[in-house]
Amino acid sequence: MALDKTIHSAFARATGPENVIDDPVRCRAYECDGLTGYRVVPDLVLLPRDAAAVAAAVRVCAEHGVAFVARGAGTGLSGGALPVADGVVISLSRLRRILEIDPVNRRAVIEPGVTNLEITAAAAPHGLYYAPDPSSQQVCTIGGNVAENSGGAHCLKYGFTTNHVLATEVVLPDGSIVTFGGDSPEQAGPDLRGVFVGSEGTLGITTKITVRLLPTPETVRTLLADFPSIGAAGDVVSDIVAAGIVPAAVEMMDTLAIEAAEQAVHAGYTVGVAAALVVELDGPVEECEVQFDQVKRICDRHGCTRLHIAGSAEERAAIWRGRKAAFAAVGRISPDYFVQDGVVPRTRLGEVLDRIAAMGKAAGLRVANVFHAGDGNLHPLVLYNAAAGETERAERLSAQIAELCVELGGSLSGEHGIGTDKACSMPKMFSRDDLAVMQRVRDAFDPDGLCNPGKVLPTPRLCGERPGPYRPHPLEEAGVIERL
Amino acid sequence: MTTAPAGRGAFDAHRPPERDLLDDCVHCGFCLPTCPTYQLWGEEMDSPRGRIYLMNLAEKGEIGLQGPFHEHIDRCLGCMACVTACPSGVQYDRLLESVRPQLERNVERSRGDRLFRNAIFALFPYKRRLRAAALPGALYQRLRGVPAVRRLAARLPGRLGALESLLPPVNVREAFATLPAHTPAVGERRARVALLSGCVQDVFFHRVNEATVRVLAAEGCDVLVPRDQVCCGALELHAGREDPALGRARRTIETFERLDVDHLVTNVAGCGSSMKEYAHLLADDPEWVERARVFSARVRDVHEVLADLLDDGGPRAPRHPFRGRVAYHDACHLGHAQRVRTQPRAVLRSIPELELVELPEAELCCGSAGIYNLVAPEAAAQLGERKAANVRSVGPTVVVTANPGCLLQIGRHLGTDLPLLHPMQLLDASIRGTAVPVR
Amino acid sequence: MSTPTALRPTDLRGVRDAVLDSAGPLAIAGAGTAAWAGDLHPVDAVLDTTGLTGVIAHNPGDMTVSAYAGTPLRELNETLAAHGQRVALDAARVARGATIGGLIATADAGPAALARGSMRDLVIGATVVLADGTVARSGGHVIKNVAGYDLAKLLHGSYGTLGVLVEVVLRLHPVPKQTATLALDCPLAEAAGRAAPVLDGPYEPVAVEWRSHSSGDGSGPAATEAGRLLVRIEATPDALGARARRLLRALGSGATEAGAQEWAAHAERVRGRPEQAVLRLGARPSTLPGLLAALPGAATDAAALTLGVGTGVATAALPASAEDVVAAHHAVHAAGGTSVLRDRPAGLGAPAWGPPPSALRVFKAVKTALDPEARLGPGRFDPWI
Repeated sequence: MALDKTIHSAFARATGPENVIDDPVRCRAYECDGLTGYRVVPDLVLLPRDAAAVAAAVRVCAEHGVAFVARGAGTGLSGGALPVADGVVISLSRLRRILEIDPVNRRAVIEPGVTNLEITAAAAPHGLYYAPDPSSQQVCTIGGNVAENSGGAHCLKYGFTTNHVLATEVVLPDGSIVTFGGDSPEQAGPDLRGVFVGSEGTLGITTKITVRLLPTPETVRTLLADFPSIGAAGDVVSDIVAAGIVPAAVEMMDTLAIEAAEQAVHAGYTVGVAAALVVELDGPVEECEVQFDQVKRICDRHGCTRLHIAGSAEERAAIWRGRKAAFAAVGRISPDYFVQDGVVPRTRLGEVLDRIAAMGKAAGLRVANVFHAGDGNLHPLVLYNAAAGETERAERLSAQIAELCVELGGSLSGEHGIGTDKACSMPKMFSRDDLAVMQRVRDAFDPDGLCNPGKVLPTPRLCGERPGPYRPHPLEEAGVIERL
Repeated sequence: MTTAPAGRGAFDAHRPPERDLLDDCVHCGFCLPTCPTYQLWGEEMDSPRGRIYLMNLAEKGEIGLQGPFHEHIDRCLGCMACVTACPSGVQYDRLLESVRPQLERNVERSRGDRLFRNAIFALFPYKRRLRAAALPGALYQRLRGVPAVRRLAARLPGRLGALESLLPPVNVREAFATLPAHTPAVGERRARVALLSGCVQDVFFHRVNEATVRVLAAEGCDVLVPRDQVCCGALELHAGREDPALGRARRTIETFERLDVDHLVTNVAGCGSSMKEYAHLLADDPEWVERARVFSARVRDVHEVLADLLDDGGPRAPRHPFRGRVAYHDACHLGHAQRVRTQPRAVLRSIPELELVELPEAELCCGSAGIYNLVAPEAAAQLGERKAANVRSVGPTVVVTANPGCLLQIGRHLGTDLPLLHPMQLLDASIRGTAVPVR
Repeated sequence: MSTPTALRPTDLRGVRDAVLDSAGPLAIAGAGTAAWAGDLHPVDAVLDTTGLTGVIAHNPGDMTVSAYAGTPLRELNETLAAHGQRVALDAARVARGATIGGLIATADAGPAALARGSMRDLVIGATVVLADGTVARSGGHVIKNVAGYDLAKLLHGSYGTLGVLVEVVLRLHPVPKQTATLALDCPLAEAAGRAAPVLDGPYEPVAVEWRSHSSGDGSGPAATEAGRLLVRIEATPDALGARARRLLRALGSGATEAGAQEWAAHAERVRGRPEQAVLRLGARPSTLPGLLAALPGAATDAAALTLGVGTGVATAALPASAEDVVAAHHAVHAAGGTSVLRDRPAGLGAPAWGPPPSALRVFKAVKTALDPEARLGPGRFDPWI
């Protein structure tokens, strides 16, 4: 049942009629985000131009009981911006002003539709930058980053979005506007800013964000090292950590991922090698040089077959282009693929990769691996051909990989979020009580359940009447954690 | 009676967008920041990802061509910045090339739109009519002999005025001047080339053609300019007017293929990109496919030729230094469509003391985009303003770009205080030691 | 009035049983190093967490540790030091035996917050018992994890009003090979200007703090008039000397290399003296020095001040007066900042909080959702809740 005309006109009054898309064909362009497997056509798409219009639109939702879903650039990979039937999409793509760059206090105040990279571009003239750098940073928006608590290649040293957001203005599901956080990390009362960041658009819509900016590092040293086995590359990572070095980034790619990336951007990776490691150090020049020498020695010690040190900003950019293009580039070597985003404790990397390889073999599907080796965040890409009827098998393998990560003491998602995609897997990681408490928190923000419903927490409608039974977490079995 | 092969979804059977090409898009959105219309409006349907999504739905027969679909495809500037940005290698250029003719065949346009488009295509590909339009005085007076223009003027005099206002004044001498049919190389010959003189280029920027011929000759090229050349069909091709575009392509091939030259050279980004596409365009035509392939393989942008000559023995002609900051704007049809980015910069750097500066948002179209500033003047004006602001932000002494559309569009928004030239004009001035012109 | 029942569980089950077996208002107590925020209303029972101690799991290769919330951070760090690792939090009361759970509940942090953040940035997982006995876990044992809501964040700064922290998983940092501290004497008004080259430059300082010479004992110059700017770096041995020399140049004339004991003096100012009312406040860094100087009694020899020049977090130990505390809260609020009252003489009767933030309604709704009977920590957020 579509929304009636009165409600349509209420939305048109809230945002201005020129900021409403009601044509069903046009609305179809919004039926999915970066995860195209899930599609729902919204009834309306609203494109408010400022926070007041967002609030006005949400008030109409609250008044008429209409579900709403906020959307940034639609690059999310967990279906977090999947519309709701008979609901509205509130696109933040027109809230894209940079309100303030404050070089003295090293911070920026921006609207949610500003892209991650635009913040750094605006800060750069002051010798500052915004540290979290998700692979999609040229297109993903800061509003989406806040919703997903985005990480990026450099979060090992610099942390995630939550560590860099000082304050966020939020339109709550009742249409009122509040601010979480403030001008300093000091907050009065519980860290609601921390709860909001990473809540995947289920607690409200961010309309203004204050982020910290950091001085651009003086030195950046980047190397690309080839190894004859994933295991050898993994040992390098362990040794770097054991040496007390905190690299800015440690990224690993396997044969298939290298092949795809190299085809796409010709970044100078060695096609055919078992594993490539990108290690980046940054910081004061003296520190960087000392530690970089250590890293080179560690690479050599583990049988590195080729060590390419970026000799210029262009060469460094090329290495990163290869790494950052890897996901999308897999489109070149396979008609279809699923991306997973599981995390395992770093020391279990070798084990999880062996098991993924075995699972892929058993399923008769290829799996490419790109991952943030420093923090154990895997991105297995399950390659398949929908036209050849492989979809279901691939979907199953993909879900199994995510659950394997939980089994090994990790998490379903390191940065892409739970969204629609993994909501039904949540009972594998959390008990019924854990989820019930999260639901209580959600209800405190959104008592009517209008704000991005169906995401993050499993629902009977989505996952069947009885979500999969909880099995004891292996850490629980090992006595590491207790469950009563 | 023969039955036409069945179409696919909403598309007819003649070259619908290929399923494989549509499937290449993984919906990652990396194209969004470089898309001019997404930058302006922030709407998914006006982004490359959204347009491909709609093509997909149309190909599956879930939506029709008339209405939203054709409106959003029409709004695409065809700048191909998305092709550069795409990590998955989606060939949006090919997709658009097959969809636009589908719209021309299958979509009923409003009367005003139809009249206006007919008038545009009755004017631009014809050097003679352009010359008439370019002379001082009312456009309509000069063009009343052209039926399409007469009809537009009768129904929509306002839009005729818009058309007129875009055309810069030009003096009689320049409008009617012609290039020499043969200009010998200065010194020992390094190459033999034929130059496409272009339509808009030759009427409004004849001085650019003259400079190009002089530069090529000074660098050791014999330059032929065939007198019987016609429009290469670029404007029609990019607007989806397939049949007339193919006709012009065949005539252009005929004119140039018999010449004994190393390269077919153009100094117009739009013409170069369409001529390099002839092989693909005529792929279904057994009589022409091989001729088109040979033709396209010989097409070079003038900067490609000059950069090769620089690599192969360095500059022939001594340059006079140019002390100033030069902002180079990548014309979309040169940078994105032909991927010619390093060569123009290398050619400019061959001028001693010249400081080359890059523009912010360099990948973003200036809003010219073939006939775009005629059919979507508001969007084009916003993009033009934005480009002009980006140009000013780097404080250049001179701005250069290698496409007449960009020169007209940026010129309108930049004002006249800053010299705005084709790179060949700057190089020509450097070689000859003359003052750098203002336009 | 009867003495509250003392409950001292030693494991998760014990905590749940203690919560379920008791009824009525319940307070949570750790090592007793911080009777901060609002004065506790009378309670029926006090849940003492000091029996909940010890490491549950530590895998050095993963650089994470899980431990019971009642474990003193100092003890935990002594254990971890054997592996060259630590929890990188240096709040002033860690030395006095503050527990992990207490440090989280009070949102405390020290000078290293500039580089490492506070507990909210270090906790990656938590197990919590709610007032109705529900046991909830969030986060996990991996640094990078976005599955589900982050309940540990909610407990951060909750002062024991939302739930009992039982188990905590923390991310670890390597113990630095070497550290150096540089010092420069200057009054409060000059601190930001002298620190600017360090904060804007490529030096990666771990801490940049200013502290008054005055401890408030009335023996020296006014707190605002004289003090010391302190900069700490962590380095590898081969790089330390060169980095320290470059920093000295950046700080300019008067800067010297100082010893680690400087930080003990800083911590002393943060803790304040028994007769002082200690406020912790946060504001935009550029406005903070002026704001501090204008607080009632700050510009006297009875005050002690510290200023996180980069973070915008400061402490002001002021002559205790209820009216002055009220005035200070309002001054901070007017400058767009926040403030909370920490240690103060018993019976001062000053409000712990200033004017409420816009997010108070959300806090209240969360409180109602998690503790509908308002059992936990009554009075801590007076007059807000």
